[in-house]
Amino acid sequence: MFTTGFKFYFGLAVALVLSAVVYGYATGGEHVGPVTWGWKGGVGDHVGYTMLMAGGVVASAVSFVIVAFRDADPSAQAHYLGVDEIVPTASVTGSYWPVVAAFGAGIGLLGLVLTPVLFVGGIVACSIAAIEWMMDAWADRATGDASANAALRDRVMAPFEIPVAATLTVAVIVLAGSRIFLNASKNGAVLWAALIAIAIFGIGILYAAKPKMNRNVVAGLVLTCGLAVIAGGIVAGVDGEREFHHHVPHGDDHGDDSHAEDDHSE
Amino acid sequence: MTMTESPPTEAAESTEPAGAVPGGLYDVLTTSDHKAIGRIWLRLGLLLLAGVAVLGVLVALEDTSADGIDVFGGANAAWQMNGLYSFSLVLLVVPALTIGLATTVVPMQVGSSNIAFPRAAAAAAWGFMVGAAIMVISVFAGGGWGALDGVSGGEADAIELTLLGMGMVASSVLLASVCLATTVLSLRTPGMGLTKTPLFAWSILVTTSVWILTLPVLIANLIVIVVDLRGGPLLFGAPEGSTMIYDQLAWILEQPAVFVLGIPVLGIIGSIVPVVAGSRHITHAGLMAAIGVAGLLAIGGWSQPAFSDQRDELLFVAFGLLAVMPVLASLALNSLPLAKAGVPPGPPPAQLLGALGAGLLLLLGAAAGALRVIDPLELIGTNADAGVGHLVAFAAVVGLAAGMWFWAPKIGGHQLSNVLGLGVMLDFMGAGLLMGAAHLLIGFDFAGGLNDAMLWVVFFGAILATLGALGVSAAARRNEGEAGDDPWVATRLSGPLPRQFQRATSSVLSPASPQKPRCSTPPKRATATREGSPHDRHRPPASTSAAASAHRPRWDTVRVGCLCDGLLRCLGAVPVASG
Repeated sequence: MFTTGFKFYFGLAVALVLSAVVYGYATGGEHVGPVTWGWKGGVGDHVGYTMLMAGGVVASAVSFVIVAFRDADPSAQAHYLGVDEIVPTASVTGSYWPVVAAFGAGIGLLGLVLTPVLFVGGIVACSIAAIEWMMDAWADRATGDASANAALRDRVMAPFEIPVAATLTVAVIVLAGSRIFLNASKNGAVLWAALIAIAIFGIGILYAAKPKMNRNVVAGLVLTCGLAVIAGGIVAGVDGEREFHHHVPHGDDHGDDSHAEDDHSE
Repeated sequence: MTMTESPPTEAAESTEPAGAVPGGLYDVLTTSDHKAIGRIWLRLGLLLLAGVAVLGVLVALEDTSADGIDVFGGANAAWQMNGLYSFSLVLLVVPALTIGLATTVVPMQVGSSNIAFPRAAAAAAWGFMVGAAIMVISVFAGGGWGALDGVSGGEADAIELTLLGMGMVASSVLLASVCLATTVLSLRTPGMGLTKTPLFAWSILVTTSVWILTLPVLIANLIVIVVDLRGGPLLFGAPEGSTMIYDQLAWILEQPAVFVLGIPVLGIIGSIVPVVAGSRHITHAGLMAAIGVAGLLAIGGWSQPAFSDQRDELLFVAFGLLAVMPVLASLALNSLPLAKAGVPPGPPPAQLLGALGAGLLLLLGAAAGALRVIDPLELIGTNADAGVGHLVAFAAVVGLAAGMWFWAPKIGGHQLSNVLGLGVMLDFMGAGLLMGAAHLLIGFDFAGGLNDAMLWVVFFGAILATLGALGVSAAARRNEGEAGDDPWVATRLSGPLPRQFQRATSSVLSPASPQKPRCSTPPKRATATREGSPHDRHRPPASTSAAASAHRPRWDTVRVGCLCDGLLRCLGAVPVASG
């Protein structure tokens, strides 16, 4: 009946209340003030006494809630289900999110010193990892069937994950691609655009021609091209844009094409 | 509220093959299996050990002040590298190896199918890796723990990164500690009380508890320093030149805090000796008490000289002097089974040599620590600090290497070379002894050219450490024979257990060893063991269990059902079912 959780919280409550009473008397408590919450006499240092006593009351409340709701009481749950014993559910499945959380935290720390963009990126990565991790943990315990758990998790999370992942991918590729185009010369930009288009088109044709191709090969190709574009974008972004010369056309100070650009980088 | 969950009553199904060595990058990145996570920690620890050993050689060469040698290109850079070496040895190498070995072995020892919070354990491993990378790279980028010639603008950023990386490392160790402590506390198999816990698992519980009490203090220190650097700096890293950051954090490198590294050594010795000797300890409880006392005396967050120097007060002196006692008691209790067994013919098992060598180094470290706190000797603040640190840290390295040899079949699926093992143990023991003793003697500041000679001794010790690190890496790659008895059965109990529990399980289970254990009861196969395990007493009839698992409702449905049921009963709306 008394679970480990109850024993822990009840023990904690007793320890905190006793500490509050001892602390109260040690800091100037009078008469029975510390044991009566200040009804007859002072309680000593108000801040410390209040914190310790409040902690005791909260721990006590939690312990009674655990008993009242029979939380984590396998025998109670088995009784409710009409079986002799609850069989433990499947163990924790593999997940990317611990890695994402760790690297997100690292990026956040780097950003704290180097640039706010990285810091925000780290916080976003950690937040996404936290949500996904929470959903994975929930799904792992949903039923005793691992495949049903995976399906359940996907049913809840896929409507969010796919649009967000697609938006992020497109945004990163567009951002990286635009840096490359702005860095290259006028003709070079055309060449890069053609190369990227050929790569996308080529992978599409390859997959259409051999739909049973190993998925790892397809994933590897896509990943390689994606990383190449991102790396190119970073390099181009660091190198900066090519020179654009802004000029005002002669004889028309207020014309609409006052922001026309002239590229001399060919 | 996982802590309130009952221990596993049978092996839970795993989506990953038990103990499977992760094949591709995907498996490594997504694993939640404790053995795979443990191997990540161990590989990282060995890599860091090799790096730190090489750095130690360079630092020692710089310290010798040999003519024309300026390894790092300036006093400030040399000081930074010295700091990197010290903090890496104590905060990166030994914790990584300890957590790696513990994550692999402890769940098996307590009869759990996995570590508690396996995803958090994985996150801790990756976080440690990222934090260590930030810490090390930032030092090479001009960071570190202050600067001898004052902190300039760019350096301040790099120093902040060093401190933040260090904080991430400490947080990761803290997270891993929570996972390991919870495993020992909450996931022990039915019938295994805390007093019957295997000694290594117990030592890990003590170690992680000390880390849980100590590392938050270090993290708080780091936060204070980073806030000061960002807002000023008013105190740390002030423009006039300061080593205050190092001084503020150095308590983690010194006694009593550094003794936490040696606690797992006591558990490893207690696990190896009875198996190799083929004889039980006379008192399991006594050894547990010794390890517990060692842990109590290794809590060190309170002894920070930067805030108020308490190093001449009674409590600090008492901690230093008393630290010898648990080590001595543990070694004495472990020597009895060995004395009973006598000297076996042939070369000794590497794990036994390592365990005993680690014990002796730890004893020397504790004795050096006891000397250090004796005020008239005036050793505090001298090289004696490094002497104690080296003895304890290398005791931990030797002990953990012995543990790796002992539990190798469970870690990698094969035996490790005994010959290489003997070489590695001797290398590390020599390194610890030479470096520790030499630093201690320098601390005494004898007249004449002894100090210069001792610096060369430190240098040779560092070379031995590098050879040992290379030897471990070489040995890990060599397969000296496949492990027998299917070491991947994670639910199998491992290691020598107390007599009462052995009676309950009807067998003594020990990991396969290169030398055949001279136990009177031969190890039985896992299947036979499971039949006699206490699991069976708690296992429901197969038909009931199968029926329940076939049409099992969702777990949260059960919880909500129980909750509603409890509420309604409290309100009196539902009569309590009879029977």
